[in-house]
Amino acid sequence: MASIALKKLNKSYGALTVVHDIDLEIADKEFIILVGPSGCGKSTTLRMIAGLEEISGGELVIGGDLMNDVPSKDRDIAMVFQNYALYPHMTVYKNMAFGLQLRKAPRDFIDSQVQDAAKILDITHLLNRKPKALSGGQRQRVALGRAMVRNPAVFLLDEPLSNLDAKLRGTMRAEITKLHKRLDATFIYVTHDQIEAMTMADRIVVMKDGHIQQVDTPQNLYDRPVNMFVAGFIGAPQMNMMPSVIERRGDGYFALFDGRELPLPAHFDSSRIAPYEGRELIIGVRPENLHELPPADIAPENLAPFSAVVELAEPMGSEVHLNIVAGGRSFIARVSPRFKAAIGDEVKLVIDTTNMQLFDKETERSILY
Amino acid sequence: MQWLRDMWTKEGPGIPKNAPKKSGLALFADTLAREWWEMVKLNILFILTALFVVTIPAAIVATARVSVTFVEDRNSYLLRDYVEAFIRYFWRATAWGLAFTLAVGVGVFSIATYAATARDNLVLAVPLTIALVATVFIAVVACHLVVLMVMRDLPPPTLLRLATIASVIRPLPALAALAFVAVLWLAHIVFYPVSVFMPATLNFSLGMFAVAFGVHRAAVMVLTLPMATQAHREPHAGDATHI
Repeated sequence: MASIALKKLNKSYGALTVVHDIDLEIADKEFIILVGPSGCGKSTTLRMIAGLEEISGGELVIGGDLMNDVPSKDRDIAMVFQNYALYPHMTVYKNMAFGLQLRKAPRDFIDSQVQDAAKILDITHLLNRKPKALSGGQRQRVALGRAMVRNPAVFLLDEPLSNLDAKLRGTMRAEITKLHKRLDATFIYVTHDQIEAMTMADRIVVMKDGHIQQVDTPQNLYDRPVNMFVAGFIGAPQMNMMPSVIERRGDGYFALFDGRELPLPAHFDSSRIAPYEGRELIIGVRPENLHELPPADIAPENLAPFSAVVELAEPMGSEVHLNIVAGGRSFIARVSPRFKAAIGDEVKLVIDTTNMQLFDKETERSILY
Repeated sequence: MQWLRDMWTKEGPGIPKNAPKKSGLALFADTLAREWWEMVKLNILFILTALFVVTIPAAIVATARVSVTFVEDRNSYLLRDYVEAFIRYFWRATAWGLAFTLAVGVGVFSIATYAATARDNLVLAVPLTIALVATVFIAVVACHLVVLMVMRDLPPPTLLRLATIASVIRPLPALAALAFVAVLWLAHIVFYPVSVFMPATLNFSLGMFAVAFGVHRAAVMVLTLPMATQAHREPHAGDATHI
């Protein structure tokens, strides 16, 4: 069993607290990703789990055992670092075998573990080579192999793909996901890349300034962010935010922004919206919900015209990211490459409000969830 | 001091899995470039263990053991593997070493004797030639035997038989390796005292690596013969635990 529980875990450096009372339950064999901007405390949290940082307060429980004062080597964890941390004077074989050698494992066992891990990672042809001859991706595989040979209950990965180029990152993301399924172990992964988080995780922990903002599955985080930070952090390009005033018309509500009326979907809980009638809210609309033509599968009552001036068009190949300005605010729309718009043109788009998000202006929290 | 750190941490070119494998001299040079520092350490180990003279045969065989791992591109823990091989093959290496020293000694004596008298009696050129060829052949068999000994545990008669077969089917690579060893020592002598550090750093290990590299293919070929696989599977006569 390798379930992990963080109970009011916190870390301080003198008067500066960098991780504030984290409460988190990680199930056995789960792939959980800590994501957030630089300095949010995700790596520090990971290092506390690894035993590389002393825990200032709270409890760390792994497999039902309190681990606060247990040395790293006795925690049945293995870590993969951002810069690989391979021993440069040792061959790949020796790098992978080193941990087991320190534990005085039998030679045959070490050899079989190393060979098995090398076969899984497809690095058998590198076993007698030193790290300086290897590319970044190969080094990363060796670092993974070094963690794998120990058969730990928990793998800790600290931004392992951040030093790789975009194409290789894509390949390695898939490899790590397959590895998780194959090894059937708990993976705790830290990254600042929300694409990695969305594609790999069973659950994502979004952190900011040492606090957990939201813990949920990738799709739920995308569809139901609890605050503006999560809404803006998850999703690329990030969500468009516009201040609006809520007005009631008959049985429905509208959001008024710069003379534009955006109907709030009927499925929104009226009891949550009613307190904000006549007040300002922040409306969040994802770029893919701004269309050049009304989508046929969306009810007309959930569509609203939205005209804006084109500031910049960024062709991405399969789509165009249109940077537009409306009411003095910048927005991004994802439109088809066939949609032709020059800088300065006024374009008439359509907003789909079905998946609109509403945030309290003061607390920045979602009022819908 | 970025350059110092980069020396160790800078990303390398990568090693493609399906790149065409090098062979021949290119492979020899590539292995030497990769393992040269291990060879220096191996050379020092050889010198230290051969100082007692009676341990020279065991030291040669232990050096051969490590050299075979270089040739086969396998991982080795230098000190551990060397000491293990030294202890394991000590008596066998000493016995074979004495036997081959005697054989080569007789051959050299014969060559010297016939060479001295052949000038006056040309008929003696025949035995001289025979002695020369036999002595060289014994040296080649010795090279194959040493490598075969560390590649598989075999009874002495089988080992000698296989070494002889290997020497007959592929004598030239072993001869080339022996010539390379001769050149190494010749270079040491010719360029002395500039080359004073050659024996201390590379001569012994590089020479043995050249021999292992040269005879390895023949050794692999003869080890697939039925007599090699059968002898490997048969239990020792005196070992009841295998029955």
